[in-house]
Amino acid sequence: MANKTISIGKTFMAGIWDENPVFRLLLGMCPTLAVTTAVKPSLTMGLSVIFVLVCSNVVVSLMRNLLKPHLRILMFTLSIATFVTIADLFLKAFMPIMSAELGPYLPLIIVNCLIICRAEACASKNGLFVSIIDAFGMGIGFTLVLCVLGGIRELLATGAIFEIPVMWENFVPWQAMRMPVGAFVTLGLMLGIVNLITGKKA
Amino acid sequence: MFRLVRYYIKQSWLLVVSAFVFGLLLAVTNSIWSGRIEQNKNDKLDNLMSGLIADAEFAPAISDIQIDCAKGKFVKVNVYKAADKSGRSKGFCFNASGAGFADKIELVIAVDAKFEKVLGYNVLSSNETPGFGDQIDDYYFCSQFSGAPVGQLVLNKSGDSKIINSEIIAISGATVSSDAVVSIFNSFVEQVKAKTQEEGLLSDGK
Repeated sequence: MANKTISIGKTFMAGIWDENPVFRLLLGMCPTLAVTTAVKPSLTMGLSVIFVLVCSNVVVSLMRNLLKPHLRILMFTLSIATFVTIADLFLKAFMPIMSAELGPYLPLIIVNCLIICRAEACASKNGLFVSIIDAFGMGIGFTLVLCVLGGIRELLATGAIFEIPVMWENFVPWQAMRMPVGAFVTLGLMLGIVNLITGKKA
Repeated sequence: MFRLVRYYIKQSWLLVVSAFVFGLLLAVTNSIWSGRIEQNKNDKLDNLMSGLIADAEFAPAISDIQIDCAKGKFVKVNVYKAADKSGRSKGFCFNASGAGFADKIELVIAVDAKFEKVLGYNVLSSNETPGFGDQIDDYYFCSQFSGAPVGQLVLNKSGDSKIINSEIIAISGATVSSDAVVSIFNSFVEQVKAKTQEEGLLSDGK
């Protein structure tokens, strides 16, 4: 029982740090770079990915014994596309401004390697409970990185966090942080710091 | 033959059943939220139209007219009539769209009651490059259309942007996006004017 508890904890924590999708696996780079201009879109993207990841892992885990090897990727894509469309419709219905801000990057979750990777590596080989824990761990790990990246960029580009001004009065905004170059530089520095912490060479 | 059909069914039944179930799930979700999504779109359109023609009430004038955008492409356009409280016509608004640099650009265009001058435009949706193409929404570019004559507009890379005529000065670094907006105007405005005339809606501002 104790071993099982530890393995569940490890499964969850793997997504947060040891196998963090952005820092360690370098998966889902497209939304990581594109939507992290501020914390709000980063958080919305992260929550959408958690929803899709959990739902697709549940479906794949439930049908894992029925999957034919040559049809499995097709089945993964079918289930992922369904849940991404539901998330997209939800945002269009209840958060239309955020939906417009995220633009094509929300539907592009369909081709996010992270989700197919977890379906293939975890959900198709494990039971429902482990698959859900893995989805939450990976999803939360992905969301945390997006929020930190979005927070740094929003702070330096506008002097605010969650649109609340926090910098001093004469702060000169770094407009470059809103641009793609800001995303690449910030993510590169963050990856460098993480590699330093883990003692791994960049 | 029967064995082959059986083999295919055995291989693909899960995919077929899943496609049906997921399709049903999407259909149900869409039917539940489609009304709200449509309402959001209408609210956004109302806001944008109110920004172009102030203190006016908008009523649909012509629905789903087909506008020829060349290369065999037709776009459905809805024309709204703007009237003040006394019912006097203040102008018309209609949707228009065309290919931009990154994606489709959708605009709401406003013209005066006689369809002789453009009152302005607002961007309904676009995914143009941040910092460059997305400046089609900025005052520098938008203001050049306010008061421009209805007719073919010309895009120039340099000139005085404060002179209001049929010459539009492009956004520096975003010529493709600027050209896209001018092309949308050139494709839609005159055709919508012709349709509005056919319907007998252009009547001395009344």
